Amino acid sequence: MLVLTRKLGESIAIDDHIKIRVVQIKGKQVRLGIEAPKDTKIHREEVYVAIQEQNQQSASVPADKTRSVAKLLKP
Amino acid sequence: MIISTSRFGQVELKQEDVLTFPEGLLGFGDLRKFALLDDPNDEIFAWLQSCEAPQIAFPVLEPELFAPQYKATLTKSDMEALKLSAQEKARYFSIVTIPDDPTQMTANLKAPVVVNVEARTARQCVLQDNNLAIREPIFTKLQQRVVQNPAVAIKNQSSGIDVATKLNIVKEAGL
Repeated sequence: MLVLTRKLGESIAIDDHIKIRVVQIKGKQVRLGIEAPKDTKIHREEVYVAIQEQNQQSASVPADKTRSVAKLLKP
Repeated sequence: MIISTSRFGQVELKQEDVLTFPEGLLGFGDLRKFALLDDPNDEIFAWLQSCEAPQIAFPVLEPELFAPQYKATLTKSDMEALKLSAQEKARYFSIVTIPDDPTQMTANLKAPVVVNVEARTARQCVLQDNNLAIREPIFTKLQQRVVQNPAVAIKNQSSGIDVATKLNIVKEAGL
């Protein structure tokens, strides 16, 4: 992993099109501004972790569970 | 071809029933081949079954069944990975989680499984829209859907279930 030190207001450029700037430092929190092409996906890491967890839990559903939910939903 | 599944036993598939996920799914990066199975004993869900790991299968639903206004915007890289020429050609499925109490069931709207039916390619696309929930409660919404239109099986109200393969069990699980 590349580790860089930046001061408030300084930026990092990734490739030719992505710029990440330190916008604010307050206690333990750092606010980052990200400039990137519209097509670039930018998510907090937690989003990916939450989706992975959701996938894991979904994969453990037994077949009779969906059948019983289907019956439960019938009027 | 015949694949083994822990839920349904041995299931017969045609080669064209197999969907390729070039990057796998989040948390399941090693699994690249899945089939969408339509279980005739269940009027609501389809299953995204791994062809490589018998125990891995996800219940899925089309989001339009519980979120009629659902609109996904794919990025250029999503489109390229899916070999999609137009966004309208994509079919969407939400992965569903059903806890012990089924009224607490949720669907993932933030990261739908997007299928290019023609190319048999699929991808779990993480959408940028921050209003989409990873765990959207859906029980009540599905219930309303059933109440509104009780005569029609919920599967027949969806447009994409034809993407799924009718479950053809060769040998039941546990036999």
